[in-house]
Amino acid sequence: MITLYPLKEFKHPIIAESINPEFFQGKSIQEIGSLKIWEGNKERKLRELFKIEEDKADNPTITIHGNIGKVRKIGKKMEKGEITIYGNVGMHLGEEMKGGKITVHGNADSWVGSMMKGGTIEIHGDAGDYLGAPYRGSNEGMHGGKIIVHGNVRSEAGAHMRKGIIKIYGNASQFAGFRMRGGTIYIQKDAEERVGACMSDGKIVICGFLKSVLPTFTIEGIKKKVKIEEDEKAVGPFYLFRGDLTEKGEGKLYVSKEKNPHLSYYEKFL
Amino acid sequence: MPVVKAVTCPVCGSLCDDIELTVENNNIVKVKNGCAMCESKFLGYNSEHRVLRPLIRKNGKLIETSFEEAIRNAAKILTEANYPILYGWSSTSCEAIRVGLELAEEVGGVIDNTAVVCHGPSLLSVQEVGIPSCTLGQIRHRADLIIYWGSNPWSAHPRHIERYTTYAEGRFEKSAWKGYLNKIKALLAKKKIESSIRRLFLKKKPTVHESISKEPPETLSRKGRKFIVVDVRKTKTAEMADYFIQVEPNKDYELLQALRALVRDEEIDVDKVAGVPIECLEEVVDVMVNCSFGALFFGLGLTMSKGKLRNIDTALSLIKDLNMRTKFVLMPMRGHFNVTGANTVFTWQTGYPYAVDFSLGYPRYNPGETTVVDILLRRESDAALVIASDPVANFPTKTVEHLVKNPLIVIDPHMNVTSHMADVVIPSAFVGIEAEGTAYRMDHVPLPLKKIVEPPNGIHSDEEILRRILAEVRKIKNKNEEEA
Repeated sequence: MITLYPLKEFKHPIIAESINPEFFQGKSIQEIGSLKIWEGNKERKLRELFKIEEDKADNPTITIHGNIGKVRKIGKKMEKGEITIYGNVGMHLGEEMKGGKITVHGNADSWVGSMMKGGTIEIHGDAGDYLGAPYRGSNEGMHGGKIIVHGNVRSEAGAHMRKGIIKIYGNASQFAGFRMRGGTIYIQKDAEERVGACMSDGKIVICGFLKSVLPTFTIEGIKKKVKIEEDEKAVGPFYLFRGDLTEKGEGKLYVSKEKNPHLSYYEKFL
Repeated sequence: MPVVKAVTCPVCGSLCDDIELTVENNNIVKVKNGCAMCESKFLGYNSEHRVLRPLIRKNGKLIETSFEEAIRNAAKILTEANYPILYGWSSTSCEAIRVGLELAEEVGGVIDNTAVVCHGPSLLSVQEVGIPSCTLGQIRHRADLIIYWGSNPWSAHPRHIERYTTYAEGRFEKSAWKGYLNKIKALLAKKKIESSIRRLFLKKKPTVHESISKEPPETLSRKGRKFIVVDVRKTKTAEMADYFIQVEPNKDYELLQALRALVRDEEIDVDKVAGVPIECLEEVVDVMVNCSFGALFFGLGLTMSKGKLRNIDTALSLIKDLNMRTKFVLMPMRGHFNVTGANTVFTWQTGYPYAVDFSLGYPRYNPGETTVVDILLRRESDAALVIASDPVANFPTKTVEHLVKNPLIVIDPHMNVTSHMADVVIPSAFVGIEAEGTAYRMDHVPLPLKKIVEPPNGIHSDEEILRRILAEVRKIKNKNEEEA
C-alpha cells in the first residue's frame, strides 16, 4: 500500500495520470517516486510534489491525504485496485475507468468518472459538473460502473449515459441525464429543471422537488415503486413521464408525487 | 482628395466591405456607406487615448521605454511562467493570430479568444450536433424567412438586416423595406390617433404592453420575405419584425424544444411554454415549415442565458428537424470583426476553435478546464498576455483580481483599463486602418483588411510585435538550454 502526501499547496494544474494502482504495483518506492507528472507546463517527478510512504502489505492500494483539488486525471483508465482520497480532488477523477474502486472523503471537481466503463466511484462530499459525462464533442458517455455521490452535483450529471448507475443522495443541478441513452440516474433530493432533456432511453428517478417537466415529456401513469438496482427499490408513488418526444422518446422519468403537488395538472391526461 | 473604395470595416462580425473613405494628409476625413459604429471607428481611432510609446511598470508606475526593452520584458515574463495565458485575438488579423499560436506553443501556455465569453457555447454545440449553414450572400438572395433569436442587429450589427437579410434586395427575394416603411407610417398614425383619443378622454389610463405575445398577425401568411424576432424584451429589431415572440427570461430552451416537438408533429400536454401559448407556436411552426429557405440568426441572448450550450444544441437540432421538411440554415451573430477568424485560425493550427492548452507540449482542449475565465477563477495562471481586448473591463471581478496580481503584458493601440493595470504595454497599429491583414466574416468568408494610412512613428503591427516577442522567447530558451 502506498500513501501520498502533497508537499505543498498546488497553484498550477497537476496532470497526474500516473497515480494509478496498476502503475504502482511491483515498483519500489524509488521507481514510484520517478514516475512522471506535470505541474503547469513543467514535467516533474512524483517525489518532487508528493511525500511517498510505503506500507509492506502488498495490495494495490493508494491512499492520498490532503487537499489535491488541482490534481487531475487520478486513476485514468484504472482496471483494478483501490484509491482512497482524504481531501478534495481535482477534475477527471477515474476517467475511462474499467474496474477497481475510488473513494473520496471530500469534494470532487467536474468530469468524475468521465466515459467510465466499470468499477465504482464513491464521493462522500459534492461533485462538480459533467458527472460521468464524456469529453467535449463526444457522445460516448458512461458505459457501465457505478458512481455514488453523497452530496450535491452540479449540471449535466450522466450526460450521454448508456449503461451503469449514478446515485445522487443530494440535489442535482440542471440537465441531469442530458441525451441519455440507457442506464439509471437516481436523485434522492431535488433536481433543477430540464431533467432528461433529449433523452432517448434510460431511467431517471427524482424523489424530491422538480419545478417543471420539459414540455416534450408526456405523462404515462402513476407507479407505486421503482426499481433502482437489483435489490433496491424507491417507494413512491411516482408520476411516470415518457420522453423526450423530440428524440426517440423512450426515456422514463419518475418524479415523486408527494413532493410535487404542482404536477397534479398532468393527472387529467391519464 | 483621394478616395479609397471597397474598404472592409473592422468593427463587427458583419464585416461590410463597401466602405468608401476620403483620405487627406494621412488622415481619414470622410466615411461613406458605414453605420454609426463604422464612422466612429474610422474618424475617431486616433483619439487622445492612443498610446504612442511602449510602457513598463517600475516602482508601481508605468514609464516610457524603448520598443526593444518592452519586447525583452514581455519575452522574459512569458518564458519564466509555469502556466501563462494568452487572451484576446478577436480584434486582430488572422496573420497575427497565427504567430500568437506559435508563441503559445513555444511558452507552453493557454491561448484563448473572446469566444469564451460570447459564442463559445455555440462552438461546443456545433461539435456535438453539427451546423447546417451557408454564406450571407445565399441568405440575401434566397431566404424568405428570417428569424433573429436573442440578438438585436439594429443596434449591434446595424447593416446586417439591410445588407444580408430582410431589407436586402435579393435576386430571388425582394426587399421588405417598403413594407417596413408602410408599417412605420401606420404605427405613427396609430400613435397620433391614440394620443388624440387620450386628450379627448383624459381619464383613460395609457395602455400597458402585454407581456404575453399576441396572436401572430395575418401578414405572416402573406407572400414574400417574413421576419420574426424572439427576445426577452421588445428591442428596436423586434419593433421592425412581422412577428415578435416575447420569451420569458431563461426559458429559451423550453421554447425551442416545444418548437421541435411541433415540427415533429408531436402533441404537447401544456397550454403555454415560456409564456407563449401553444396556438401561437403552432402558427409559427407552420410558417417555418412552409417557407422555402429559412435562416435563424442567434446572439448572446441564447448563448449566455440559462442553459448556454444546450440552448444552441436544441436550436441546431430544431434546424436539423426543419431540414427534413424544408431548407433551413442557422448562423451565430458574431460580435468582434475577426472572432470567426480567430476560431478558424485556431482550428486549422491546433484542431480546436478556442481555449487551447499547450502546457503539456501538445494542444489540449476542454472548455471549463482550459478556458481563460475558469483558469483565472481557480487562480491557476502566473502570467498573462492580452492582445486587442480589455478583460479587466468586462471579465468577472474575481477573475480580474487574479489577472492583475500576476505579470501582465498588453498589446493594444489604446490605453484601455487593462493597460492601466499592466506591467508591459506595447502600442500597436490598428489592423484594417494602419495595417493590412485578413479577417473572417460571420459566415466564414475571408475578407482582406486594407492599410489606409501610415501608423505613427515607431508603432508596429500586432503581427510584427508578436514575431519580435517570439524571436526573443526563442533566444532566451536557447540560452537557458546552453547553460543547462
